[in-house]
Amino acid sequence: MSKDIIVCQNLGKTFDTARGDVHVIDKIDIRVRENEFLVLFGPGQCGKSTLINCMAGLERATQGEVRINDKIVDRPGPARGVVYQRMALFPWLTVMGNVSYGLKMKKVPKKERLERAQYYINLVGLQGFENSYPAQLSGGMQQRVGIARAYCIEPEVLFMDEPFGHLDAQTRYLMQEDLMKIWEHEKRTIVFVTNNIEEAIYLADRVVVMTNCPTKIKREYEINLPRPRDYVDKEFLKLREEISSIVDKTV
Amino acid sequence: MKNRFKDAASYEKMICAGISILGFLCLWQLVVSFTAVGELLSGPLIVLSKFVTSIAEPIGTYTIQLHIFWSLSRVMIGFALGSAVGIVVGILMGWFKIIDAVVRPLFEIIRPIPPIAWIPLSILWFGLGEGSKYFLIFYAAFCGITMNAYSGVKSVDPVLIGAAKMLGANNRQVFTTIVLPSCIPHIFAGLQIAIGTSWATVVAAEMVRSTEGVGWMIIKGQDSNSTVQILVGIVAIGIVGYILAVSMRAIEAKLCVWRVRGK
Amino acid sequence: MKKKANYWYLSILSILAFIFIWWLFCDVLKMTKESTLPGPIKVMETFIKKLSSTAPDGATLIEHIGSSLKISMGGWAMGVVIGTPLGICMAWYKKIDLFVRPVFDLIRPVPGLAWIPLMIILFGIGLTSKIVTVFLSAFVPCVLNSYTGIRQTKDVHLWVGQTFGASNFQMLINIAVPTALPLVMTGVRVALGASWTCIVAAEMLASTKGLGYMIQQARGIFRPDIIICGMIAIGVIGALFSWLLSLIENRIVRGAKHI
Repeated sequence: MSKDIIVCQNLGKTFDTARGDVHVIDKIDIRVRENEFLVLFGPGQCGKSTLINCMAGLERATQGEVRINDKIVDRPGPARGVVYQRMALFPWLTVMGNVSYGLKMKKVPKKERLERAQYYINLVGLQGFENSYPAQLSGGMQQRVGIARAYCIEPEVLFMDEPFGHLDAQTRYLMQEDLMKIWEHEKRTIVFVTNNIEEAIYLADRVVVMTNCPTKIKREYEINLPRPRDYVDKEFLKLREEISSIVDKTV
Repeated sequence: MKNRFKDAASYEKMICAGISILGFLCLWQLVVSFTAVGELLSGPLIVLSKFVTSIAEPIGTYTIQLHIFWSLSRVMIGFALGSAVGIVVGILMGWFKIIDAVVRPLFEIIRPIPPIAWIPLSILWFGLGEGSKYFLIFYAAFCGITMNAYSGVKSVDPVLIGAAKMLGANNRQVFTTIVLPSCIPHIFAGLQIAIGTSWATVVAAEMVRSTEGVGWMIIKGQDSNSTVQILVGIVAIGIVGYILAVSMRAIEAKLCVWRVRGK
Repeated sequence: MKKKANYWYLSILSILAFIFIWWLFCDVLKMTKESTLPGPIKVMETFIKKLSSTAPDGATLIEHIGSSLKISMGGWAMGVVIGTPLGICMAWYKKIDLFVRPVFDLIRPVPGLAWIPLMIILFGIGLTSKIVTVFLSAFVPCVLNSYTGIRQTKDVHLWVGQTFGASNFQMLINIAVPTALPLVMTGVRVALGASWTCIVAAEMLASTKGLGYMIQQARGIFRPDIIICGMIAIGVIGALFSWLLSLIENRIVRGAKHI
């Protein structure tokens, strides 16, 4: 058994808004193993995004702590790559500029920077589009840039916050398949948030099912199906049935 | 159903534009030739021929292209200084809260005063020469651009700042690589408006006190009751104003390639 | 974003410091001449005096303001009433667009105040020439903004209208005009600013009353205190205008913003 890379202890988050305190996350304990693909799965507006933001250091937890490799997370930084739901690409940079941005900030020499960025651009299958601007790409291609950009800084952990949420169904299947290929080629610890049950089972080593707001852990499932998985496989469908039966149906 | 706002074919457009402009000019010519209006207003033929001849024969001390050159050089100097200072002040105000708190109230006090209302005071301060004109154009450009640069910084997408920090950028790098590029479109929107205001301001300033320039041309036309000269001046003002606006847009398109959708 | 640092006291300090430095330089150290920059106290005094005194230009400040307001409002109202429908028709009916737009594009790049000398020759120094000039400078932004606004109507919305059997005119009134409303209001606001600037310029060049006339006369007799009073009046009224119109805008446009 490999060691735990991410340790969340007693994590909680409360927003104080104009209408009083809103309790979003309630005392969560999660451990993520090295090179594990962990999926946080839950219904629509529960605090999944807030949880992943706390883990990535984009937001501060109001209670408990997050440790990654025994260091407390309190601000965003290149040890933790994030792929956003809204892509968040820099529109004024080309694909190459976006992917190599992190290396440029670290002042990596230009030649090495371009070589490494090119490697990840090829990995996500965007060769030939290095000099295109994000506005010229389709949604799926934009999200590939997002993935390559996060991979390129070679972080300890990758966080993906519903990265395929805005894509159409066809593209979504394709991206799931390709993400699996990329991950098996370049193993990383990934925490992936989704509200799509098929996506969760297709990708995950382990699925953590969350409850509605305030978010708590409802149950965990180890997914031991062989990869590549099949959406209509009997085992797959059985798991799907089981998980969807315990998810909160109320909005 | 076809798209309602699909533009007509370009040849159809050209023909209609030709007909309507010719019609307008003919109507003008007819009214001038056959009614009492002719005693006050000159027709398009005279204006056009006067415009062409004034390239060789001077109006006042200068030919028309030199008048235009005088006005343009005033605008360019004032505009360059005003926009440079405006961009810096606006961005600093947007980025540093303390500068915002100190400078913005003062700025908000002078901002509603149109540049034209500064003409008398600027003449008292800087005399009748070039100084007062540079000051007015500077003011016109400065006011327009500062506000746009400011709102540009304020409207930077916080998600992009988060993404840059996640990728390892420090505060200074966030400012130079994220904040500056994302306020460029706002700055250009400001430059577009400011070049128009500056041009109008120089015309007004020259009308009030000057010895050359397009504004001088039209006000002297009024003094000597010559509508030909006024209309020649107005045509020149219109053409230059149009060229300024178009070239501003061309520069923006060049610098902001990334905003154009490729598909 | 939770705790916004509050620097309002700095803002107030900064304005006080500005007035203090002005006062220090002009009234205490006497570094400027009265004929170029008077101190804040002198300006205050002149402002109060000018409210009721007709010296030196034949009218009180109130009368000047009234005269400027009357002309600019008249020209502005004409510009809105004529310009907005014209812009809407140009955008909606292709024939009008094809024939009117070229002529409109011809006069568009000429700033409103460049028409002043021509209008003075055509209509004399009185009210008409100024109203026509103000009208022209208000007219252009009204046409432009309502034109762009109508053009933003989505084809999908029009198709919905067609499925319900709406006539062309009904679609214009019920679909296109509401879509255009926010931009129409922007045009109306820009036009008001333009006409206020234009009237000041027109009064500086040829007039016997009005704020522009007042500051231009004051320059001739080296009375910068009156000029500054006039500028403050111009600025305050301009700011009031845009504040009032944005209030109205928020009221009218409330629904349209969420689309």
